[in-house]
Amino acid sequence: MRLVVLALSAFVATASAAESDWRTSWDGTLYGYANSTSLRDDSVLNPGNRVAGLAQHSEVAELRLNLKAENESVRLTARPIISTREQRNAYGTQQRNEAYLSRWQVQVRTGEGWNVAAGRDVLNWGPAQFRSPSSPFYFDNGRSDPMRELVGMDTLKLSLTPDMQSSVSLARIVRSGHGAAQPDVWRDSWLAKLDRRGDEWAYGLVAVKAPNLPAFYGAHGQITVSDALMLYGELGSSAQAVALQSSADAAQPFVAQAPGPRRSTALVGASHAFEDGTSLAAEYLHEGHGYTAAQESAYFQRAVAAPDIALGLAPRLLGRDYLHLVWQSNLMDERGYWRLMFTRNLSDGGNEIAAYGETVLGSEISAFALAVLPQGDARQEFSALLQRSVTLGLKIALP
Amino acid sequence: MNKIFCVLILGLLGLGNSAFAAPDAHSILKDSDQARGGGLAGIVWEIRLASRDGGRVDEPQRILVKAVDDSSVAETLEPARFKGSKLLQVERNMWLTRPGLSKPIPISPRQRMSGQASNGDIAATNYAGDYDAQLKGTETLDGEACYVLDLAAKHKRTTYDRIRYWISVKRVVGLKAEFYSVSGKLLKTARFEYANTIEHDGKRIPFISKMVIRDALVDAETTMEFGTVKVKKIAASEFDLGQMQ
Repeated sequence: MRLVVLALSAFVATASAAESDWRTSWDGTLYGYANSTSLRDDSVLNPGNRVAGLAQHSEVAELRLNLKAENESVRLTARPIISTREQRNAYGTQQRNEAYLSRWQVQVRTGEGWNVAAGRDVLNWGPAQFRSPSSPFYFDNGRSDPMRELVGMDTLKLSLTPDMQSSVSLARIVRSGHGAAQPDVWRDSWLAKLDRRGDEWAYGLVAVKAPNLPAFYGAHGQITVSDALMLYGELGSSAQAVALQSSADAAQPFVAQAPGPRRSTALVGASHAFEDGTSLAAEYLHEGHGYTAAQESAYFQRAVAAPDIALGLAPRLLGRDYLHLVWQSNLMDERGYWRLMFTRNLSDGGNEIAAYGETVLGSEISAFALAVLPQGDARQEFSALLQRSVTLGLKIALP
Repeated sequence: MNKIFCVLILGLLGLGNSAFAAPDAHSILKDSDQARGGGLAGIVWEIRLASRDGGRVDEPQRILVKAVDDSSVAETLEPARFKGSKLLQVERNMWLTRPGLSKPIPISPRQRMSGQASNGDIAATNYAGDYDAQLKGTETLDGEACYVLDLAAKHKRTTYDRIRYWISVKRVVGLKAEFYSVSGKLLKTARFEYANTIEHDGKRIPFISKMVIRDALVDAETTMEFGTVKVKKIAASEFDLGQMQ
């Protein structure tokens, strides 16, 4: 990787000598927000908050910067993040300071349609909002902590874009980016991606091979049916690094399988934009790695005796079928933004309601609020850990 | 001899007919498109956008647009809190990206920009490719003789279904447009100014500098001022979602 970066640096130096017309820019956002989370007293997965050690109160100050320098053939971008966060729960207070590059990239146009890039890139795609089945790296889109943005993967990428309708890229994933879980299953992986676009449609095909996992195959597509209606879908076929098998017979113990069996995940969705610019999206997800209603029920029964195994090795979604509805304001509106989300786990009947709102207080300052309200008991996925969570904050645009 | 004379006369009349035939509406439209970015290898411009809806004045915006034919990328430069947001349009597909966003969001054509400007208005104009044109006559507009063209949409991805377009006879640039719905209802009126110039095929041609769009149904107006215009080839990768970091 270092050799590649050095080679790219040499190329950049040559290109920059030839192309002296550099344009530079920077901007940033300063965030300050506080969160209060009410945990379940009767949690099966996290009794007394001893397993997960979740924060009940937190205050965060975070600076997110965007730096860019480019000329006709080279583009350098970086997104440094500096944050300080204080978290409190019944066991005490924790202070955590961080400074890292969330994303960065050196992109060089090497020839007609060819680009080489090295950096930390968020390899996420597809039109779905609830989850991203067509990306093996970011299935949950960062939903587990909506305030924390996704960190890219350290990647070297070669792309060919011969025309507006198609592009092909091949990437070597050197490792997952900052803060990745260890062991890093994506270290030294390969990614191949094809994208095609037509008048009213677009689709992409994905294949990823990690050293210790069977290949991942994914696809995503969308069709603009009319000015108002869009239909879309995403697919993924994969094996998880570790799969916690939960037999429907609760008398049987947990079995952890590494890697897990190959399963398919599919999402279909439709989005309708109204005359006033608001839109309503409905998505249905079938998660092959999740549990049936009986398996999920057995999972919670076993979790009473082994909550650390149940929570630590839990599948990315517990259920097998989900319905997700999003009603949101026009994303193009500069005066503010709101979003209401409803999710139902069709396997266990639990629901989650969430709302996000942002309003402009001044030219550079906005206030935002996020509330998550799970509905169900301690043996249903969405309400297994939390009763509610509320985040309030301010963001200031720089400069 | 008389026969030869008659044939010559008829031939001359025929030539006269073709020489003084009504101008071709499609050619006029195609030529006028160039002054609004159409038919060029690629164009980069900066737009200052100011909108008013009744008594409410929206925050001014500054947008950098890169466009080739039906494809465009509009990057917000101001206001600061939206800096770096990009709206990518390829054919009828649109996506919105913002720094830090987990992935690009598909946008429906109905979710236009704020104010009266649609996504089609900020991109290069390719009316000759998107509309069938019919010459309806000539009129004088602000003392300038104009062709009046009726444009009917050829396909669904156009922003407007029908346009009545006034094109200067002398300068061959669009001076005024009326935008209509399918039912024939007037939606908006636009006026255009051409204080910019660009070089194309070795010639200096006028180029759009200002567009004022008025809503026909409510008291609302959007003004777009076009500056720092550059004609240049733009790589297809600039319109590739996977490379927009």
